[in-house]
Amino acid sequence: MLFNSAVFALFFAAFFPLYMLCRRRVMARNLLLIVASYLFYGWWDPRFLILVAISTSVDYLAALGAAGKPVPGKDLLKSALFLVMVTIGSLASARRDWWLAAPVAGGMLVAALVIVAVKRAPERVRRKYWLLLSLTTNLGILAFFKYFNFFVGSATALLNALGLHAQAPSLSILLPVGLSFYTFQAISRTVDSYKLRYEPQYSIINYAAFHAFFPQLVAGPIERAGHLMPQFETVRPFDRRLFTSGTLLFAWGLYQKIVIADNVAPIANAVFNSPANQTAGATLAGVLAFALQIYCDFCGYSNMARGLARCLGFDVMINFNQPYFARTPSEFWQRWHISLSRWLRDYLYIPLGGNRGGTLRMYRNLMITMLLGGLWHGASWTFVAWGAFHGSIQVIYRALRIDSAIEASRFLTLRGFAIQAASWAVTMCLVCVGWILFRSRTFGDAVTVLRNLFATTGYTTAAFSTLAALAAPLVVVEIYQRASGRLEFMTTGPFLMRYTVALSLLLTLIAFSAPGGQEFIYFDF
Amino acid sequence: MRIALLVYSVLFAEGFIRIFDAQAVMPRYITGTAWGVRGNIPYSHYWHHTPEVDVEYRINGQGLRANREYSLQKSPGTCRIALFGDSFFFGLEADYQNTFGSLLEQRLRGGGIAAEVLNFAVGGFGTAEMLQTYEKFGFKFNPDIVIFSWESSDFNDNVRSALYRLQNGRLERANAAYLPAVGVQDSLMHYAVYRFVADHSQLYTFVRERFNRIVKQQLVGAQKAALGVPQAGDADADRAASDDTDIDEVAHRNKIQLSAAILLRAQDEIVSSGREFYVVDIPSRLSRTEFASTIGILPESVRSRIPVVLPLAALTKAARPDLKLYYEKGLGHFTPTGTEILVEETRGVLNSSARLAACRGQSATSSAVSAR
Repeated sequence: MLFNSAVFALFFAAFFPLYMLCRRRVMARNLLLIVASYLFYGWWDPRFLILVAISTSVDYLAALGAAGKPVPGKDLLKSALFLVMVTIGSLASARRDWWLAAPVAGGMLVAALVIVAVKRAPERVRRKYWLLLSLTTNLGILAFFKYFNFFVGSATALLNALGLHAQAPSLSILLPVGLSFYTFQAISRTVDSYKLRYEPQYSIINYAAFHAFFPQLVAGPIERAGHLMPQFETVRPFDRRLFTSGTLLFAWGLYQKIVIADNVAPIANAVFNSPANQTAGATLAGVLAFALQIYCDFCGYSNMARGLARCLGFDVMINFNQPYFARTPSEFWQRWHISLSRWLRDYLYIPLGGNRGGTLRMYRNLMITMLLGGLWHGASWTFVAWGAFHGSIQVIYRALRIDSAIEASRFLTLRGFAIQAASWAVTMCLVCVGWILFRSRTFGDAVTVLRNLFATTGYTTAAFSTLAALAAPLVVVEIYQRASGRLEFMTTGPFLMRYTVALSLLLTLIAFSAPGGQEFIYFDF
Repeated sequence: MRIALLVYSVLFAEGFIRIFDAQAVMPRYITGTAWGVRGNIPYSHYWHHTPEVDVEYRINGQGLRANREYSLQKSPGTCRIALFGDSFFFGLEADYQNTFGSLLEQRLRGGGIAAEVLNFAVGGFGTAEMLQTYEKFGFKFNPDIVIFSWESSDFNDNVRSALYRLQNGRLERANAAYLPAVGVQDSLMHYAVYRFVADHSQLYTFVRERFNRIVKQQLVGAQKAALGVPQAGDADADRAASDDTDIDEVAHRNKIQLSAAILLRAQDEIVSSGREFYVVDIPSRLSRTEFASTIGILPESVRSRIPVVLPLAALTKAARPDLKLYYEKGLGHFTPTGTEILVEETRGVLNSSARLAACRGQSATSSAVSAR
């Protein structure tokens, strides 16, 4: 169910009054959220619900166990019952696959055996096993559904290149929407519990509502349990001001998605679908269009998710903080997909050693983190190359101490302004080169796009006018946000100004939305 | 305070639309008819304003776009041609003297044929509504020749109107009437304020067009289901998908078969009463020099039985980057040059008409009962 669809509008219109009725009772509210979230997610394919339920059941117990808390039989039963109920519900749908019952039953049996086996182990060991159970389950699901064909295909290609004739077993695997997001969120909660940074509570209802919270289930932000989970354990505030600001945030996200991203998408698609036939002007327009598309697509989704959550009284973290104002690659990553950047920092970069252990180790850690960050985005070597590219430029910036030099320059002096403007321009060029790797279907396509950019043909105003017209309002808003220091530009200022801006936004949404609801790019990740 | 805010909102929105998304203000003077489909409001007189043209419309008392009334019996020696079509035949964005019907009549008379062209077209019509208008009303005027327009939108229009359906490959009547939103429109048209807003407000036009588009999409979806086209999620759809058959393709095939059956029904009825039947293909505009026709999608059984006017080649030949054959800022209908080409192509096909040959050399006597 897409946020930008009539089905979702109907869904929310039916859900919201019910939510208002039971919002003061935590248990009832969370049960309603679970039902709504499973309906929302199951709309794509009810079979995927089983995966969400597996992750929920396992991580509910794993977080308790990893935190050193006792895992009573009552909770084991609740957890198993939840998984069985969802599995039955999924199998009752029109798109059922009976064979799915077998791995669910097998998985439950294995989990039960592990639980029995570690029951008498010392607490330190037991906590570790619980953590391992969570990691194995979540990463196992991710590895199978997202990377199985990629790894098998790559291994086969390697063996063939070495002269060993191998044949890859290729499975027809559907990638469940948002798999990388909710598995990462689940892992972070269990790891935080293990590290005693977060204390998990005994309520599978609360946890299941958190785990499947529909505003951010399929494309994040990847929330931390420490921030979002306590909100599911209390009655959330609700007033008109909160609802209005949530609605405006949702509307702004919708604008980013259906007015900007979906309208520039054809310009980018034309270039990346057949790069060989493009002039330099068209190629540059296509690359810039994709840079705009992916930002507005993903930032738009995040804003919609935050807006919806706020309408329900929940606070979801900021995921984008004006990344295209970044002056260095590392600053870009502090502003782009913040929830993923922080996840990679806290659960990969720092455990690998982070900045400790010398410069070379730091560079190695940075490269590993960015490579895996690239792979997280998709099962393709172009994504790995994109990660490697970003890792490399960050290493170079750190090795040459460019970050600190830019940080030290003063913006208000002429020299400082020139340095900062030049570093911004260079960073944006690097980011765009990265987007070429990210969007291209093959390395050959990426090379063709890059080669096209160095020609001098086809620089017409027509190629850029649509792009400029669509980008202009966004640029004005972002400059205002930057100057005012407030990302939420529609909730402050005189009433008539806010009202006029909201009215303009509504009219623009109706008048200039791209035809046909298009999926969000990040749903595939 | 609330009223002030409402007034401000409306004025602001009107200004916003005029600046950023200027609309062609084209009010629709449509009502329900006794024969169950839409018709032009008799005696209505209104204007359309687009960035390219300002056009006056006058509808006679019989609901035809004409500057006179017609008697049911034609004058002796005069050949009567009845046009049934949508906005292209009606002459949207065209002054009366530049409509297809008026130009055809002028050219035929100039060629020595005592012809009289009656324009029964109504904007938004599909083939099913054309047939119903002919069966219940148009035939009374005793036409010698009946011409239907054909446009790509007819595929969807015929599904949407749900006047006919295919049952085991046979065309059968599904509903007696199709009057979408006519009741609402009739009620509103009683108010001068509404007529003023409809005639002048770009905001109203904008909202109405968006609303119509959504309603049309929903109706097509509903009618697809009624026609038995598998919808996503159905077991049939899954089977179709597993057979590598695109669901849209199934819907597309159904639409084609339905339109073909309606055209053949029209052919049978018209020809069996001793009249001649023609179809004029209206190509769609892709760009100023490129056009597309969908009539070729219809089965060979239709195209071989019904004489079709095919202006695609003539339009393509006449097209130049500096010449508009279709308007580009309104609703995309023919310019006078485009209509001239269509008329010439139609005249060429009608040259072989036996009924018209009988009127050749006769003095053209109008059977109009009164001039308006």
